[in-house]
Amino acid sequence: MRRKLQNPEPSTMPHGNSVDSESSFRNLKFSQAAPLISTLEEESSSLSPTSHSPAKYGELVILGYNGCLPSGNRGRRRSRFILQKKEVANGVKPDKRYEISAPRSAQVTKDNEKHTIAYTLSRHQTFIEEYTTDVSTDMFQIGRSTEPIIDFIVMDTVPGAKSQEDCVISESTISRFACRILVDRDPPHNARIYAAGFNSTNNIFLGEKACKWRTEQGMDGLTTNGVLLMRPKGGFQATSAPGVWREVSVCGNMYWLRETRSSPQRGKMVENENNILEDGTLIDLCGASLLWRSASGLRHTPTQELLDHLRKEINRGRPQCPIGFNTLVLPRNRNVGRLLEENSKQPYAYLKCGHVHGFHEWNSKDQEGKEERMCPMCREVGPYEPLIMGNEASFCVDSEPPSHAFCPCGHVCSEKTAKYWSQVPLPHGTHAFQAACPFCATPLCGDQGYVRLIFQDPLD
Amino acid sequence: MSIIVPILSDTRVSDRKELKDLKRDPLGQCSASPVADDNFHWTATILGPPDSPYQGGIFFLNINFPTDYPFKPPKVSFTTKIYHPNINTNGSICLDILRAQWSPALTISKVLLSICSLLTDPNPDDPLVPEIARIYKTDRPRYNKLANEWTKKYAINQQGN
Repeated sequence: MRRKLQNPEPSTMPHGNSVDSESSFRNLKFSQAAPLISTLEEESSSLSPTSHSPAKYGELVILGYNGCLPSGNRGRRRSRFILQKKEVANGVKPDKRYEISAPRSAQVTKDNEKHTIAYTLSRHQTFIEEYTTDVSTDMFQIGRSTEPIIDFIVMDTVPGAKSQEDCVISESTISRFACRILVDRDPPHNARIYAAGFNSTNNIFLGEKACKWRTEQGMDGLTTNGVLLMRPKGGFQATSAPGVWREVSVCGNMYWLRETRSSPQRGKMVENENNILEDGTLIDLCGASLLWRSASGLRHTPTQELLDHLRKEINRGRPQCPIGFNTLVLPRNRNVGRLLEENSKQPYAYLKCGHVHGFHEWNSKDQEGKEERMCPMCREVGPYEPLIMGNEASFCVDSEPPSHAFCPCGHVCSEKTAKYWSQVPLPHGTHAFQAACPFCATPLCGDQGYVRLIFQDPLD
Repeated sequence: MSIIVPILSDTRVSDRKELKDLKRDPLGQCSASPVADDNFHWTATILGPPDSPYQGGIFFLNINFPTDYPFKPPKVSFTTKIYHPNINTNGSICLDILRAQWSPALTISKVLLSICSLLTDPNPDDPLVPEIARIYKTDRPRYNKLANEWTKKYAINQQGN
């Protein structure tokens, strides 16, 4: 029973099964979508040996950002990281395994050239797994550390953060060397994920108190807060459904979740599952969740240009505020200065009923506009929030018009994208799960976590 | 509030968006337009609904838009005398959407439509004129007769005001 609570089946999540399929924007459906879908074949060198750009393996996108970190995407600190073929293979594979005494003085763990995993058995006993160069794979390391050995620096996600200041947290739960991904340099470029990353002296240490155990080959273990994986059923598309969360070990084996996130007792091994990332796999680092999009999966994802086109199609219909009768324009980005501007074109929605309005203060008790309000159209009481386009194309399961909004944040996306994310249970705290908006990480609320938007047509 | 209000009442009243709204949804039995150049003062007419004792009558109304319209309801009153449990001799109308149940999403066309419904279906449980309400509830033929007489006397071949 407790297991079920820890890792709920998707059916226990709030979801909408009664959504009106006749979206009011069906008539705006973009008929020329195909030319705007990105053609990765053209960008990839794997299919054209004469091209100079390296083969793209896939992308990791941090959930909770709408295309960019609040501080901007710079270098290894960004909301999205592209994994592509390295000039020189840097992968490693297990080599020798042995036990030594007096761990700290062991010469092998000080040898920067050699990658090792050291499992401390006792004060006087350490199990060493030595790694050797693997020319057939590329290794990518992910973690909180800013040391050069980390390819993709990931900090804790703060739900709803709008500025750099909002992102400051006192204590991180993400490991400095959280995980590593090894990708086959040859097609089909399988990407395997492992808990823990090598530090700047190429070591992984599992201390005396760490969750670890003997295996047939040697030893395996889990990191303090663990690395969890969730593979959606049916890939990453409009018909996909969330799968079950698992934990991946340091050696890449799959386990049921622990009783609580950092329990010293590992879960049961899952024999028939592997650690290969599939399009849409979610990776939870305890503090941040990453979405893996494979290069082949990204071919079916809308481009930024297409998303922007779909947004402009909504605006071409000149939706109108039912109170002021003024024309509204769905913006691409959040313009804080204009949000509370009277008579602005910024659309707001009542997220219980979906009626779209301009900004007004009718029936508002609080000038901050954060409290629940009564919709002037239908008198339904609910959150009243500015609508902002969901711009991170990698989160979209289809290329349909942005007709729905997440509740309570107001990020706008297609119906299927809203439905999918409203059903995805994301790890939260030590043993809870909750659905969240992928564009801002705000936990979803309301009956189904999203609402169909009702725009008013213009008078003339 | 003090900033937003004139702007909104400007677009809705001065820019005559409300008039466009009326034209988009022709009501048939109602019409409304500004009096001369005063955008905040309109007159409206309602034709007595068929199958009601008001049939055949032309009823004139005054509409005054407050400066904080549409956040406050318009002031609507009959200038033609009418025998009705929810409309008194001053022409005041007892209708929830013109008071507590007002919403800024309502328009003049929706208000006039509601008044038409009120003529067809009076609400004797919330009367403005208790005596008419009592007759409406206890002696419907007499109510119909009186309402029809008033209509003939004040609302047929009469000018408003």
